[in-house]
Amino acid sequence: MERLNVTINGKAMSVEVDPSLRLVDFLRDNLFLTGTKVGCGKGECGACTVIMNGKAVTSCIIPVMRAQGAVIETIEGLAKGAQLHPIQEEFIEKGAIQCGFCTPGMIMSSKALLDENPDPTSLEVQEALGGNICRCTGYVKIEEAVMAAAERMRKGEEAR
Amino acid sequence: MNYIIAKSASEALEALIGGGGRALLIAGGSDVMVDIQAGKLNPETLVDVTAAEDMKGIRIEDGQLVIGGAVTLTEIARSPIVKEHFPSLAKGAGSVGSLQIRNSATLTGNVVTAQPAADAAMAVAPLDPRFVVLSAEGERQVPMGEMYAGFGRSSLDPAKEVVKEVRIPLPAADEKASFVRLELRKSLSLPMLNVAAMAKVSGGVVQWARITMGPVGVGPTRALEAESWLAGKPLTAENMAEAGRLALKNAKPRSNPLRGSKEYREHALPILVRRALESIAKQSSLLEA
Repeated sequence: MERLNVTINGKAMSVEVDPSLRLVDFLRDNLFLTGTKVGCGKGECGACTVIMNGKAVTSCIIPVMRAQGAVIETIEGLAKGAQLHPIQEEFIEKGAIQCGFCTPGMIMSSKALLDENPDPTSLEVQEALGGNICRCTGYVKIEEAVMAAAERMRKGEEAR
Repeated sequence: MNYIIAKSASEALEALIGGGGRALLIAGGSDVMVDIQAGKLNPETLVDVTAAEDMKGIRIEDGQLVIGGAVTLTEIARSPIVKEHFPSLAKGAGSVGSLQIRNSATLTGNVVTAQPAADAAMAVAPLDPRFVVLSAEGERQVPMGEMYAGFGRSSLDPAKEVVKEVRIPLPAADEKASFVRLELRKSLSLPMLNVAAMAKVSGGVVQWARITMGPVGVGPTRALEAESWLAGKPLTAENMAEAGRLALKNAKPRSNPLRGSKEYREHALPILVRRALESIAKQSSLLEA
């Protein structure tokens, strides 16, 4: 076991972990943050996307020890109590969700984009979400949701 | 399993040597982690180089573009220095996998995993890069042509060697490079074919050209016939098309159920080679952009 110091969703922690774990295993099995999904397990579907030090990464290909000293955001960190994040609200509003399995990854990729680029073009949204595969909704509504959330966040609206 | 976070390239090398062949270097991990999950790799120790200070950053030094071994593909694709000197490398690096993969994966890893159509490896191949390799015997520089030992096999041993950085000579004003690919979809898809080229074109005449293509052999494959035929000839539409046809002489594409049959790839490859050369012609103001 190794000592891991990491900040997850704003909470600094120091824990003993098995260094052979993937980041996604640590999040789901040790911390019970099961909002992050495992899809392909090969970094090809984006369901396990989290934000690590400001960048979207697929947590199924990240060794847990690489999170040493890192700041990590997962889907669980977005809502403030019962109040959803504007990106979450717009995904619901625009019908950008069906089965929901890809949604946490989609939303974390969207958040990484909007944190860095509050006014993205359609092409930039497509680049940011290109690594997230959705097998039911289709991508048009997802892109609309990200654009709508971006607009609201630019106006400084928190949530409705 | 043990996990060592190396603070420098030499610390990584020490850790590998200490592992006696049972330790494995990990950079981005986009292939290593998948292979560990699949049981294809079973290292006792992983030596992580992503925090190695002397393997970070992109800089110009002694007339060379120097890219640290731990630099991610996103950093390369967005680097103003890379975009200025080698826009084709920024394009190739930006074509790998998805943004999440590029946020972890490295150019060095894209070469050392030795896949024949890796986009970043393809884009860097004609630029005459040197890989600065540390091993127990010391430091040496390995040219692109010596990086591959076979299909999916690197000539380097990630249990014994560390690629500290990649060094690429800066181009003269009349040297231009390009990268093109053919794909089924625009993200998360391996290319059906990819081609990169670099050429010195003075007064409309090709002084020399390097053309690499994949997946048509072991690693990025040089189109040597086309290269030598082009040298000394003007970069005209006819000559670019003929070079495309000649490129087939060095290409042995295989059929892939998803990414094109042998026949299709043989049909499309000359077109991609022509397009790679056309891009160079445009950059040399011989064709309208």
